[in-house]
Amino acid sequence: VNWSAAMPLLMLGSSLVPAVLILVLPERMGVGRLVLNLGGAVVKVVLAFGLVIGVFAGQEYEWRAAFLPGVDLVLRVDAVPLLFAFLSALLWLTTTVYAIGYLRHDRHHPRFFGFFSLCVTATVGIALAGNLMTFLLFYELLTVTTYPLIVHRGHERDRAGGRAYLLYTITGGAVLLVGIAWLHSAAGPVEFGDTAAMAALAERDPAVARGIFAVLVAGLGVKAALVPLHGWLPRAMVAPAPVSALLHAVAVVKAGVYGIVRVVHDLFSFPVADQLDVLAPLSAVAAVTIVYGSARALVQDDLKRRLAYSTISQLSYIVLGVALVGMLSTTAGLVHLVHQGVMKVTLFYCAGNLYEALGVSRVSQMSGVARRMPLTMTAFTVAAIGMVGLPPTAGFVTKWYLGLGAVEAGQQWVLAVLVASSLLNAAYFLPVVARAWLGQPEGSAAAEPAPGPHRFEVDGWLLLPPVVTGASVLLLGLLAGAPLSPLSWAAFIAEELFAAP
Amino acid sequence: MSTALWVLPIVVPLAAAVVVLVTSRGRGWLLSLAALPALAVGVAGPPGPPVELDWVLVGVRLALDPVGRILLITTALLWAAAGAYARQGPGDGPRFAGLFLLTMAGNVGVLLAGDAVSFYALFSIMTVAGYGLVVHDRTPSALRAGRVYVAMAVVGEMAIFAGLALSVHAAGTTELGAIAPAVAASPHRDVIVALVLGGFGVKVGVVPLHVWLPLAHPAAPVPASAVLSGAMIKAGLLGWLRFLPLGEAAMPAWSGAVVALGLITAFGGVAVGLTQPDAKANLAYSSISQMGIITVLVGVALGEPEAAPLAVAAAGFYAMHHGLAKGSLFLGVGIAKVEADERRHRLVLAGLAFGALSLAGLPITSGALAKVALKDAVGLLEPDVADTVTLALSLAAVGTTVLMARMILLVACPAAEGKAGGALIGSWVVVLVAVATAAWVFPAAVLDVDLPTTSPSVIWNGLWPVLVGLVVVAAGRAGKRWLPSTFPSIPAGDAVIAFEVAARRLRAGWAAIVSPWAASTGRRGRHAQQLAYLSVLPGGGVDRFDRRITRWRSAGALFAVLAAALVTLLLTGT
Repeated sequence: VNWSAAMPLLMLGSSLVPAVLILVLPERMGVGRLVLNLGGAVVKVVLAFGLVIGVFAGQEYEWRAAFLPGVDLVLRVDAVPLLFAFLSALLWLTTTVYAIGYLRHDRHHPRFFGFFSLCVTATVGIALAGNLMTFLLFYELLTVTTYPLIVHRGHERDRAGGRAYLLYTITGGAVLLVGIAWLHSAAGPVEFGDTAAMAALAERDPAVARGIFAVLVAGLGVKAALVPLHGWLPRAMVAPAPVSALLHAVAVVKAGVYGIVRVVHDLFSFPVADQLDVLAPLSAVAAVTIVYGSARALVQDDLKRRLAYSTISQLSYIVLGVALVGMLSTTAGLVHLVHQGVMKVTLFYCAGNLYEALGVSRVSQMSGVARRMPLTMTAFTVAAIGMVGLPPTAGFVTKWYLGLGAVEAGQQWVLAVLVASSLLNAAYFLPVVARAWLGQPEGSAAAEPAPGPHRFEVDGWLLLPPVVTGASVLLLGLLAGAPLSPLSWAAFIAEELFAAP
Repeated sequence: MSTALWVLPIVVPLAAAVVVLVTSRGRGWLLSLAALPALAVGVAGPPGPPVELDWVLVGVRLALDPVGRILLITTALLWAAAGAYARQGPGDGPRFAGLFLLTMAGNVGVLLAGDAVSFYALFSIMTVAGYGLVVHDRTPSALRAGRVYVAMAVVGEMAIFAGLALSVHAAGTTELGAIAPAVAASPHRDVIVALVLGGFGVKVGVVPLHVWLPLAHPAAPVPASAVLSGAMIKAGLLGWLRFLPLGEAAMPAWSGAVVALGLITAFGGVAVGLTQPDAKANLAYSSISQMGIITVLVGVALGEPEAAPLAVAAAGFYAMHHGLAKGSLFLGVGIAKVEADERRHRLVLAGLAFGALSLAGLPITSGALAKVALKDAVGLLEPDVADTVTLALSLAAVGTTVLMARMILLVACPAAEGKAGGALIGSWVVVLVAVATAAWVFPAAVLDVDLPTTSPSVIWNGLWPVLVGLVVVAAGRAGKRWLPSTFPSIPAGDAVIAFEVAARRLRAGWAAIVSPWAASTGRRGRHAQQLAYLSVLPGGGVDRFDRRITRWRSAGALFAVLAAALVTLLLTGT
């Protein structure tokens, strides 16, 4: 077997095959679906581990097939794709566990879990895409497969959210297509990592290169929720909690940000992008998004809406990290791909648990909920502290590297943005935490816990994922310096990027 | 082996906190035991050369210098005593015990940190976990104290973050030893100095950043107040000593400003403290005043590189003296408030008086020793300035005497019922013994400062402020009926009230702007709810803007433009 070509396909297959089987399996075969779901997720994690070891040992993985004349479909595993693929594999596993618990009493399981697996397949495809055309293919696949998940419960509110989502993302995809077509007509087929072609184009026709950059980023910026293209995200939060968790942590929004990372790193490369002066506007947009998202989060009473605006803000830490030229800021941006995912997934799991166990969906109803759900709220508290960026959490590691990177790049104003965003994060997360722990419970939170069917504060399937990811928020910060930690991995990538002459 | 000795002082309280929180059982005996490794390292000195733990955070370095060691002895002793004290009280509950141990781990760790990032991380753990101690009683006043504490602490943390990022970039390493020289040479020197002074100044309690202190101390349980005042605010001082370019640059402007701020803090603390009706608030203001005196020393060190070593050593000395004395006073006041037996209560008052006189600097007490070191360091200022500052410090000692007398009068009556248990008395006596002895032993051995001679002038300099203070008190009590019966009372937290009023006005103003618009669009209910969470920003205009740019029609128009562009490209493409 040619493992080099097989591994990328296996990564896709480990969720594509379960997806197809789940879709054809009848509703009542719950056990079979469970095995497929968990089996696929575990296999994907094992494969991702194998890839980490392989890539670290210098092994190369590439699969290639002809698609259009002059354009191949390429899946390639490098350090950067692996970071994203690994995150997707791990969080897919925890979210699958969570979704099984969350939807236990729902119907339409084959549809939900089938599209759920397709959604992850698309995400892994995006991660491993070796050129923009492959990227676009999976990017659009992701758009389509996420829609049934968002509108899963079928209420009018859900469908309105789904419509907004589709409108925005399909438009974004179209813009991206325009960018790719323009790039193709101006520079011929270009693959990620093939930076010489772009350097030549930038030399020959800088205006066109700038235009291509702008169009590509604008297309990707929809999913990355850059202001003013962010409008769909707060509306799509009507989705069930596991979908929101995946959407905000790995799948949709991350795909956009990851695309921007690849365009800056692997298409244009830093020297070229810097020479074209396109990074300063990008960092300005990111800075505006960071502050704007946080300022909007401040006034949301709906917990998931507040989390959605917080996502808008946090995603742009990643964009800001790659838009500042420097090793440390690049490290910060890359590592935040992972850190933001783990923190935000935890917060959404917790929000889902509050809703499931107590029917609480608004911040104003959260008084004293920690008395009934101490473990859930402990995980929430840790993740919230991480969002503020206080040590020793994962969020702090990002903020520290971003701060250092800003000074390194001579952009001290970024420090002010980070401080402002952290203060706003504190202003919209810490009162929630204080209210949950110290407030007087009212309504359902005040009622004595009914002798329910669960041993814990909520179904064990719902409790385990936030506990695991919440602990990870701490461990990612505490052990940031350990070998193979996301930080070490990101630093390794950044060194490679900047070591080249 | 040596690595284990380095990490045990931090890991033991951390592990104990995890055990307490996970098993949900208080285990009061753990509280004081967990501080013993730190005490052992403090007394025995560094267990070998500094160690580096690459895996932890972004690389942790543990080290211990003389000032850190003096503070470690003080801090560990206070945490151990407060832990024993807490056994017969809040320490039984798992939540208090867990947060107490976490705060302890952070506080001890700050003193052992040898690099900027772990210093900041442990400082922040201490601050965040300390919030839980402040709000423990969940009374409205405790919750208000907690709000002010957390708001100021977070702002402080952000200033520290920015200052540290600039400093570490300048140094090119996180190692603490390299920071001060690099900051001195950095083009951003003044910005860094301002950020570090302000960021750690919140913890130190320097005016006008002191407002959280008089709210938090009375609200927190007694053992928490003792470590808050005795140990945790000293971590802020250490932040200044670690991150300001002391001994590396002469900054006369900063020096003058900080000395002046220190004196204002020293006198302001006494003045407002005298009006407090609660003994713990009185002690909190006394802590502000005493930290003002230490701030003067930091100002001295900022002025002249040559003055820095002596001033820093004196600051360490004074911090030890004040930490132990103030710890004993908080524990003593807690005991005096619960002891009903008249004879035993008198003994408690005697112990309090000893701590109070030490604080005022009566000869042969720790205060007298620390003040000789203090005045030696102040003597390094320019001669005429030095004389003024020395006189001002003596007057501050007069004020402290009066303040302490007032504190004792506030707890002069035995409690209606109750009896202080053995753990309370025992832990307090341990601290009192330390107040009496530690200043004679450790500073000379660790800081390499000369102990003052017992010359008549030294004794007189310590004695007269106390005597004058006592005369003032006596005169005040004798002349009570000529004084106005309603003494002007300043609420605890003084200036914080102005902030709170301003915040309320801002909120009300915003509501007035938004509600007409909200009513006109029929969304009053939602906006009323949003308002409940609003402290600042953003107005309805932002909301309108947000909706306009996210409307279908604009998106549709964009889509059409794009389609046109694509077609054009395809037609004209090569």
